[in-house]
Amino acid sequence: MTIDAIKEALPDYAKDLRLNLSSLLSDGVLTEQQRWGTLLATALAARNLALIAAISAEAAQHLAPPAIAAAKAAASIMAMNNIYYRFTHLASDPDYATMPARLRMNVIANPGVDKADFELWSLAVSAINGCGRCIDAHDQVLRKAGVSREAIQQAVRIASVIHAVAATLDGEASLAA
Amino acid sequence: MLTVGDKFPAFALTAVNGTDPKSAFAPVSNESYAGKWLVLFAWPKDFTFVCPTEIVGFDEIAGEFRDRDAQLLGLSIDSEFVHLAWRQSRVDLGKVSFPWLADIRRELSDALGILDRQEGVALRATFIVDPQGVIRFVSANDLSVGRNPQEVLRVLDALQTDELCPCNWQKGEETLKAA
Repeated sequence: MTIDAIKEALPDYAKDLRLNLSSLLSDGVLTEQQRWGTLLATALAARNLALIAAISAEAAQHLAPPAIAAAKAAASIMAMNNIYYRFTHLASDPDYATMPARLRMNVIANPGVDKADFELWSLAVSAINGCGRCIDAHDQVLRKAGVSREAIQQAVRIASVIHAVAATLDGEASLAA
Repeated sequence: MLTVGDKFPAFALTAVNGTDPKSAFAPVSNESYAGKWLVLFAWPKDFTFVCPTEIVGFDEIAGEFRDRDAQLLGLSIDSEFVHLAWRQSRVDLGKVSFPWLADIRRELSDALGILDRQEGVALRATFIVDPQGVIRFVSANDLSVGRNPQEVLRVLDALQTDELCPCNWQKGEETLKAA
């Protein structure tokens, strides 16, 4: 499927999403790598197979292989960290936050792209996976690295719409089955 | 004996990997595996009893070390020809996939401080060295006691596992600085 086909597959009641998706494919605030890495990482986090395939196919035209790998790595490692650290943040017992996690996450130290871009993708995935303190922590790191609020917000707008498109396609798929 | 935090000594030795005399010898130095971790384990003498089980034990999990960007290196004070002969003498040793250093002048063993004072051969010492050349783990057994390769792997894994994600941030703390 292409992204155009995804838009066609969105039913009329989701016309807002169709239009939102269109406008998010270009913007004036993110670099091409940031935009397409965010689209890819959030599509993976949103877990709809058709959307992942469509975004991934088009992202390959905008991202060099190391960036593709890094965006996938962000979705992949944050799928772990969002669960683990959301637990430590939510648990009433503060001791869990002091116990060593003993989880390997070395890709964060060497993502293969500009660290700020990797952090941006991690923040977008955290927004989908719903870890509040992860969002705050990544936001701090990004602001310190000089990334603007507008850029961060744009990444979250992408995450929001990608998630909604995925949810809608999932719903339509179950209804059609 | 050198310990955690010390810089691993510079060395340049002949190493043996394989059983064909035409291709088994190659020089190995501390620069040969730049960017990787080193797991160096020494044994007293080739052709003795405890060593083969350890060497084969490490080789059985060589893939796990490789996955963790760690190069296994064996070492004894035997010459490269003794190493070759020992590899040729047993199928299980012949297949071992990592190089054995021939520390024939005892220079590296001496610099590491692992020569047994009575016997003049290397103790069963194991070193884990990080990509910056710093020793991060040391262990030494007496001549007759073998090692557990799984334990070495466990330590390597623990050394490599750091909480690198900003998600680890606690409210009120400074954010983590990526190394």
